Amino acid sequence: MRALFSLIAAASIPLALGCSDPHGAAPPAELTFAPSPPVMPRLTSLQYRNTLKDVFGGVLPSTALEPDTNPYLFYSIGAASTTLSELGTQQYADAASAITDALFGDAGRRQALLGCVPAGSEDPCVKEFLKRTGRRLFRRPQSDADVERWLNVVRSTAEGDVNRGIRMALYGMLQAPRFLYRIEVGEPDPSDHSMPQRRRYDSFEMAERLSFLLWNSTPDEELLAAAERGELLDPDSLRTQALRLLEAPQARPTVQSFFDQYFNLSVLARLDRDPARYPAFSNTLGPAMRTEIQLLVDDFVFRRNSDIRELFSTHRTFVNTELAALYQVPAPGASEIAFVPVELPPDGARAGLLTLGAFLTMNAHPTQTSPTLRGKYILERVLCQLVPPPPGNVNLNLDDMSGNPRTLRERLEEHRKNPACYGCHSVMDPPGFLFEGFDSIGVHRTLENNQPVNTSSDIDGKSYADGRDLGAQLATDPRVPSCMVKQVYRQANGRLDQPGDEAALDALTRRFAQSGYRFRELLVALVQSEGFRTVADSAESGEVMP
Amino acid sequence: MKRFSMSRRSFVRGSIAGALVSLALPPLEAMLDSKGAYADGMGEDPFFGLFFWANGLPWHAKHGEEQRRAGYPDLWTPDATGAGYTPSQLLQPLARHKVTVATGLEPKTEIPSDPPGQDDGHMRGFMVSMTGDRIRPQGFDQPAHQLTALRPTLDQVVARDPSFYKTPPRFRSLEVGVSPARFHEYGHWNAISYNGPDSLNPPIMSPGQLFDKLFAVPGESADQGRRARVLDAVLDDAKGLRMSLGANDRLRLDAHLDHLAEIQRRLRSTSLACQVPNRPSENADLWKKTSDMAELLAVAINCGLTRVFSFMLTSPATTHVFSNLGVADDMHTTCHNGIWEKIRDVTKYQMGAFALLLDAFAKISLPGPGGRTLLDAACILGTSEYGEGWKHSDKELPVIIAGGANGRLNRNIHVREQDGNLCKAQLTVLKALGLPYTTFGWNGAETSATLAGVLA
Repeated sequence: MRALFSLIAAASIPLALGCSDPHGAAPPAELTFAPSPPVMPRLTSLQYRNTLKDVFGGVLPSTALEPDTNPYLFYSIGAASTTLSELGTQQYADAASAITDALFGDAGRRQALLGCVPAGSEDPCVKEFLKRTGRRLFRRPQSDADVERWLNVVRSTAEGDVNRGIRMALYGMLQAPRFLYRIEVGEPDPSDHSMPQRRRYDSFEMAERLSFLLWNSTPDEELLAAAERGELLDPDSLRTQALRLLEAPQARPTVQSFFDQYFNLSVLARLDRDPARYPAFSNTLGPAMRTEIQLLVDDFVFRRNSDIRELFSTHRTFVNTELAALYQVPAPGASEIAFVPVELPPDGARAGLLTLGAFLTMNAHPTQTSPTLRGKYILERVLCQLVPPPPGNVNLNLDDMSGNPRTLRERLEEHRKNPACYGCHSVMDPPGFLFEGFDSIGVHRTLENNQPVNTSSDIDGKSYADGRDLGAQLATDPRVPSCMVKQVYRQANGRLDQPGDEAALDALTRRFAQSGYRFRELLVALVQSEGFRTVADSAESGEVMP
Repeated sequence: MKRFSMSRRSFVRGSIAGALVSLALPPLEAMLDSKGAYADGMGEDPFFGLFFWANGLPWHAKHGEEQRRAGYPDLWTPDATGAGYTPSQLLQPLARHKVTVATGLEPKTEIPSDPPGQDDGHMRGFMVSMTGDRIRPQGFDQPAHQLTALRPTLDQVVARDPSFYKTPPRFRSLEVGVSPARFHEYGHWNAISYNGPDSLNPPIMSPGQLFDKLFAVPGESADQGRRARVLDAVLDDAKGLRMSLGANDRLRLDAHLDHLAEIQRRLRSTSLACQVPNRPSENADLWKKTSDMAELLAVAINCGLTRVFSFMLTSPATTHVFSNLGVADDMHTTCHNGIWEKIRDVTKYQMGAFALLLDAFAKISLPGPGGRTLLDAACILGTSEYGEGWKHSDKELPVIIAGGANGRLNRNIHVREQDGNLCKAQLTVLKALGLPYTTFGWNGAETSATLAGVLA
């Protein structure tokens, strides 16, 4: 990944430490923010579809697009680092064809779109349509030369049918890189002469950064108008606009989309379980677990606007009948499709995100649990630590160690005696052991192979009784919100954080704390942050390899 | 090989708004050359296919010291070498197509120590099998399993060689895949074909989608011409962007613009008439899906739509669950759990799928004497990412060469070269295709030798 290389070079440095230092490298003593070179994200398929819906309205055909990729957890990072394939380019052409056919194939829809019945290519309403639509699709006002380019397409393809010419022009605009990519390279900041390589995103770039971050879609009319007034260079106006966007219904699925990637919920859509071992498993169980987390996130972020750290310790959750049976909790009013809020019993084994079905199941194998995967998830996603994969040529087979039926934990403990494995497994497995009280589909258990399950474990010299105990600790662990800030920052910027970002991350973490860890306040703080508003000169984006 | 002609009454069928339509194409004369063959169609030239399966072979004594201690039999390497070898148990499914097998080969590229982890089979072995070179060290990130290639994969080496296509066909290459299981949702875990660093060719995973790409009714030619003209404006619009971009993003944009130009070329090229098969329905069964994909590829190649394809049966380090074979865990985990019998069964099943791909070519007869089939014109390299998955050993990396390359390949040969250079297999294939290569391989894997006795 050449493009990614420049993004990850600095972030990879702590890897050299391997697992010997679970807390990663110490931050540099003096923190001065330094902006990074721009990235050029291509719209994700969700952003592409949302944009067309917002610009044209109504139902539009949804054809196949190049699959999004999620290196370093986030589709935005894939969107900013991958190269579109020829197939993907063809798919954009096919999509443009299907969409323009739908918009122009129906006379009523066509007239609503054009706002007139054009007499010919030179009818002023044609030019007006191109100008208006170009501004929405390209997310900034169009110059006369820009409009003329598409008007020439109308002229050269109309061949006696002006509607055909306009359809062809739109077919072209929908394939234009200016529509498909976000070109955000900034402008010199007249108020800041101290660092000439430090640029600010211009007002229109900020409009699209805001709307793709908070709506996964193109700026609306109000945001574009604010950009035209030059307001989006000012932190107070940015706050006003961010709050407006967060109040709108589009913000909820967008926040969900962030948590979906952060928590890796999409894997719940395609679980495999050995039916002989897990008769309670069904194809609807994984999706129900995903819905549960989405409802919980929505509850914290939107309905109650409360301290997001409590996700890790809360007794509150949302269940349908399948999950109520899994958790053994009464859930009046629940059905297969209706989820109801429930309080998990105060003395039970469950409290917090890490004791719910989603985490327990996605980090387990089809035939057995995996303390290693569960531990790795906590280290990587919740604490932002890096765990190297096993070295090549090591024995990963836990079954060939002789002995009577033993628990997986005992076999893993044996395996950790091997010095090649110890370094990383001594970091990954202990947090994972805390969850051995839950099987591969999240059912609570006290026995494994008729042996009592041991759920206690020591992490960094501190003893925990079980996963619930760890969750209570994580809810006040300062590493958790600082990791969440880092994940939001990466997702928002479409790249890994660099050393120059440390100061901005620190400031955001402080503001997050001052807000009482309200997630929406974190998003508002982020859009006001210099880490979201400034950029280095693109000439600094690094090497081109031969 | 004698040139051949096809039925003069061909129909392209496709589905428009759910209804099945038949569209008679214009008279074919314009598309036929003086000998009655399609101008861009199958002629004297062989076609190339790259077949990939995941996780190599079941481990056995030849893979390394530990595998020897475990005492698993070698069910892959035939006992005898040379022509007319008796196929081993795992090669049995391919025996009907008289494939050539090369054993004992391994990647020979140097392994840079920085960044660490570049020895991993899923990555190094894959890259040497596909490109003859190591992973690109820049951007390699082992904890994140991030990597890219230094150069194009063999399918693209062939498709871009100026001596391979005198006139590029409608598609320079086709990329298809069968199992949707993924180790990660990015990079080479999703696709085996690279144009070069960072530029992947994701496979078409759906037979229906492949059908549409190949055979969907093209618009009338005036419409195609208009669409091609629109792309001039799109290209012009993008030109002004280049200078504001950093070097990496400029390369990404340029790749996109190259693709647009290729689409424009396609819009302006004459479409060929093919005997169109039925549009296949979606099917999760790997064998059924393989057959459906293979049949479409065979038709496409036979009527000159392309002469290069890559076929990803399973993606690198596949997490496919072979529940049809009684395997409870995904394949990658099953390998690492050391469940040898299941890996044996999965390997045999994957070879069965490879045989189904070859069946599709063997089913199509070429006109002229001698009872030749499309498989006689084929040169198909089948390989995997390493020797075996249990210990990630890249020794004994499997290599199959199928087809006759129009007489340039000897068939049904077992070549054994203990600790041999894997790049000899790729050079053999390039020479069989008539490409002007004298060496292949980079960074320690260079070779000018071919597999003994395989080239005719």
